[in-house]
Amino acid sequence: MKIETTRFGTVDVPAEKIITMSHGLLGFPDKRRFCIFQQKEGSPFFWYQSLDDAALAFVITDPWLFKPDYQVDLELAIRAMAWDGKADQLPLECYVIVTIPRGAPERMTANLMGPVVLNPNTREAVQIVLSNETYSHQYPLLKQEAA
Amino acid sequence: MLVLTRKSDEKVTIGDDIVVSVLDIKGSQVKLGIEAPKGIAVHRSEIYERIQAENLLAASVVAADFVEAEKLWKPRKGHQDTVGGERED
Repeated sequence: MKIETTRFGTVDVPAEKIITMSHGLLGFPDKRRFCIFQQKEGSPFFWYQSLDDAALAFVITDPWLFKPDYQVDLELAIRAMAWDGKADQLPLECYVIVTIPRGAPERMTANLMGPVVLNPNTREAVQIVLSNETYSHQYPLLKQEAA
Repeated sequence: MLVLTRKSDEKVTIGDDIVVSVLDIKGSQVKLGIEAPKGIAVHRSEIYERIQAENLLAASVVAADFVEAEKLWKPRKGHQDTVGGERED
């Protein structure tokens, strides 16, 4: 399927790569279809491009790249999506959304409080909310150097 | 908005399958129990709003900032070396 994107022009997304978010992302409830792709091989970043809105794309990354002890309650995702199976039986993938402030990329942060959990079997994803306040929604990716 | 007064141990039923119980009241704090079917997300509102606001911020990444961010952040992790780290071109 060919989709138009503002950032990347026309992109060809095979049907089996389409990810459905029946709840959308918080704040974007009506944007239901996404795809993940990497612009540059070896980059820690992936793009999470909406297939319903050419201009809507998020930067996501693997949380364990910078937070090896990160713990996600995957049961929250399983419950929210009524997925069949237990967390340890499903090959669930987890990504966090990165915010890169305009003109200040050195202050980029990751949202550890609201990870996106993907079930590769069904190609469904959901953004869950870890409400135990352990993790920040603005976790700095770079250590701030003293000015 | 519908306003109902409830005491401790009393409940409110919403639709056919959502029940909100007042479990305990202590001073200015109310402890609620919420029973809802799978697929209905229940969140503390302030946390829900925080993540919503963060998503809106994250959605407006500028290409130049992304390129710069990629140069600035080089995380190292075991499996990263095997995912495209061994290329010679």
